[in-house]
Amino acid sequence: MKVGRRKFLRSGSAALVGLSLKTDRPIAGSFVNDSFQMGHLLRDRASFPPPKRMEKFPIVIVGGGIAGLSAAWRLRKRGFTDFVLLEMNPQAGGNARWGENEITAYPWAAHYVPVPGPKAEYVRELFEDLGVLKNGQWEERNLCFAPQERLFIYGRWQDGLEPAVGLTQKDRDQFQHLEDLFTKFRASGEFTIPLELGHSSKYQDLDRVSFSDWLQQQDCDSRLVNWYMNYVCRDDYGALAKDTSAWAGVHYFSSREAEEKGPLTWPEGNGWITRRLLERVGEHVRTNQMVHHIVETKRGVSVFAGDTEFQSEFVIFAAPTFLASYLVEGFPRLHDFVYSPWLTANLTLERLPDSRGAEPTWDTVFLDSPTLGYVDATHQSLRTHIDRTVWTFYWALAEGTPAQNRQLLLDKDWNYWKEAILHDLERVHSDIRQCISRIDVMRMGHAMIRPAVGSVFSEERRRFTRRDTRLLFANSDLSGISIFEEAQYHGVLAAQAALKRLGGHR
Amino acid sequence: MGILLFISVLLVAACGLIYELVAGTLASYLVGDSVFQFSTIIGTYLFAMGIGSALSRYLNRGLVYRFVWIELLLGVIGGFSSALLMLAFAFTQGFELILYALVIVMGVLVGLEIPLLMRIVKDRYEFRDVIAHVLTFDYLGALGASLLFPILLVPRLGLVRSAMLFGLINAGVALWTTYLFSAQLSGTRTLRIACVVVLCGLGVGMADARRITATAEDNIYADDIIFARDTRYQHLVLTRFKDDLRLFLNSHLQFSSRDEYRYHEALIHPGLAAVSTPRHVLVLGGGDGLAVREILKYPQIESITLVDLDPEMTKLFSTHPMLTKLNDKSFLSPRVHIINADAFPWVDSNTDSFDFIVIDFPDPTNYSLGKLYTTAFYRAVARHLSTQGLMVVQSTSPMFARDSFWCIAQTLKQSGLQTYPYHVYVPSFGEWGFVLASTHDYTPPTSLPSGLRFINVEGLPALFQFPPDMAPLPMPPNQLNSQVLVRTYENDWKDISH
Repeated sequence: MKVGRRKFLRSGSAALVGLSLKTDRPIAGSFVNDSFQMGHLLRDRASFPPPKRMEKFPIVIVGGGIAGLSAAWRLRKRGFTDFVLLEMNPQAGGNARWGENEITAYPWAAHYVPVPGPKAEYVRELFEDLGVLKNGQWEERNLCFAPQERLFIYGRWQDGLEPAVGLTQKDRDQFQHLEDLFTKFRASGEFTIPLELGHSSKYQDLDRVSFSDWLQQQDCDSRLVNWYMNYVCRDDYGALAKDTSAWAGVHYFSSREAEEKGPLTWPEGNGWITRRLLERVGEHVRTNQMVHHIVETKRGVSVFAGDTEFQSEFVIFAAPTFLASYLVEGFPRLHDFVYSPWLTANLTLERLPDSRGAEPTWDTVFLDSPTLGYVDATHQSLRTHIDRTVWTFYWALAEGTPAQNRQLLLDKDWNYWKEAILHDLERVHSDIRQCISRIDVMRMGHAMIRPAVGSVFSEERRRFTRRDTRLLFANSDLSGISIFEEAQYHGVLAAQAALKRLGGHR
Repeated sequence: MGILLFISVLLVAACGLIYELVAGTLASYLVGDSVFQFSTIIGTYLFAMGIGSALSRYLNRGLVYRFVWIELLLGVIGGFSSALLMLAFAFTQGFELILYALVIVMGVLVGLEIPLLMRIVKDRYEFRDVIAHVLTFDYLGALGASLLFPILLVPRLGLVRSAMLFGLINAGVALWTTYLFSAQLSGTRTLRIACVVVLCGLGVGMADARRITATAEDNIYADDIIFARDTRYQHLVLTRFKDDLRLFLNSHLQFSSRDEYRYHEALIHPGLAAVSTPRHVLVLGGGDGLAVREILKYPQIESITLVDLDPEMTKLFSTHPMLTKLNDKSFLSPRVHIINADAFPWVDSNTDSFDFIVIDFPDPTNYSLGKLYTTAFYRAVARHLSTQGLMVVQSTSPMFARDSFWCIAQTLKQSGLQTYPYHVYVPSFGEWGFVLASTHDYTPPTSLPSGLRFINVEGLPALFQFPPDMAPLPMPPNQLNSQVLVRTYENDWKDISH
């Protein structure tokens, strides 16, 4: 065989390049768990077939996230079994869904619950049921293992997420000033979880300004302080500090005890709680049941899902409340319910990347990144030797308006997000492309309620917590913040209200 | 004659640079910190060359004659410099002193060369040509040497022989000069004889270099490495020095065959001999089979289950003749069942109960290993204890890691167990500690298997006494969410090493 000189040179230089460059691993993956197609059918008022079948249940729960599952848990605990839960997606759990591959189980969204304080009595009751709280002691295996968090800052790692490296005296003073303020707010007893138990109009003024304006008023102009406050708002609310109510910003810091040993977490995040709840109430759960219409009748409420009409006396509406405008006949449009769009991704790593000498932690965040970093699913593993893992990558699309970002989620293909994620990680883990074999991306247009300015004390929102209609609302968005404890609280209260009024009827 | 002369300039320059590189490289290899070594050696060398140049003005007569002697001296000193430095490192305390003395002597001699050469040829050329030609060839020689050294010399010849080769070149230039400048020389015969002697000496040195290197290296790395392997889980190295076998996992010494009997007798017998009818034993870790060897001394034991992460480790200790001799082929006993698994998940999923449980893990040097020293782990292990059951935990040194030792004891206590800490002296480790734990009272045994070399009944109570410098300290328990032990352990050893 004759090899041309050119070809020879080319293969020769390819061989040389091959020596100097490591080849990247092919990365598979796709969008997963898309649900906006179904949502858009509702939005666009598509026509659905008339019902062919009819079923009767005194209580129908709409939505199988934590609020809906908690309502079901409460009904079962009270010995009530004559109910059904309808979930639109193939898998129940909502923001507490999980996935699993041959390496580990992993979360799709919510991945921890802070150790609940004394006011969160239903959460404590649940954790006693699940064996997480035994004789007043938290199960060690469910508490986040050390080391928990690390922040990549100025080219090195620090423990914890609040910047502690390279601070000037001014930065330190401002962090301290805020800590003192938050301690005072905490002592006031106004900032509680569940939120409903504490808040009165005492600090309502805080809901009228944005968190960033409030920080300005406190003379907090430090770049690091502002980065951290923005990080916190993005992480818990999917919003920048300027789009967050100052009341909610303060609530983040002042609602929990300063010394807590938590959080509680599991490889599949809050998916673990979903699994335990499904073990208890799974027989009532019907998945792939998209509710498309709800009508209040003289005798009760009819819920239409697929080709079935569910006739009920009470409906626990645990899906995001804004959907009621599209589902419930005669329901007004809502104005104070703003939702943040998110993107999460699960990354399969065939080996651990170069981490500049640091031992792996549970949560990893990069200073000045637009993303929220990643959580390691094998961190809660009891194994001593871990060579493959799954990282859950979090990205609240907070810059710009939610509508713009929802459009961005629809417009960009999987490859775009894959590259964006790799770019972010590459800044710290230079060999990350040689480690990752798969990136699955989940897009959520309405991932969580946003505590926008004025929304925490919104009268429109308050209306839904009265629980005096046949339609009982239960989503965490009733609190204006999207956290496990609020979802569970509203789910439990809705279930109790339904039971009480059913008892009255009979 | 011109070109021949300038070629000797080139060779001489190459030699000078090689000696400098040899010294820098050797110092980096042996002492470490290559930036520091190269910087200081180059600096000292150049400074010494300056001294040489300054001294050259005091040489007035017989320049060629003196040049030949300088070349010969350089040939000997430079040629043997590498061998001398290796031996100095291996056999003396004053390596640095000898290193810099050598660098200065060589530097002075090299510094004399070029000024002398220039003066020797100054009458044959114009001044500007002398400067241009000599310096050109000087720098060319330096370039050649600096390229040859890393590409050919070090990989092919090694440091000892590279230096000798250039010693030969120096001596060769000396001999050659006696012919080149025979007209200006008297006593050429003596000079030539000296040259031949030096050449022969260096030649013999070249041939024998391997022995010099071997002698030195044997003394630097005291022990022969007889086995080294990166398994999926760890870096495993086995060394031997005379009759002493040592195992290192990730560079941490696991045992020395000279005194491991002390460690393993102390690990097993105070606990196991106190169990009245032991039938089933569990060993977690202990992939060297040495703990199992001690357990097999109890004939009433029916089964020993050993859980170790690394299959290559247990295979090595089942098959390697030197190692099976050490553990008395304990892994080949039909009573022994080896399971290669991660200990924590195994303990969680298994339901058997055991009369004696041995926990013999590497020290808690990182958060992964730290999980195996937590209340969560000990609670899970304690569920496997039979009613008469006892467990023993290797707990690092109560002397060098006193906080860590008492942290482990406190962790066991917090797990709902009664604890009985004790310690022994193992020469290769120093003071070493263990904690016995059980759900019932423990009393030391009144009889022991025969043939023990270290543990005896009379000596047992003393093991449980802790002198003041190892006495208990109040420590928090180690838990998965705090992992205080890993940090404590790191601090304990930092205090020792600094």
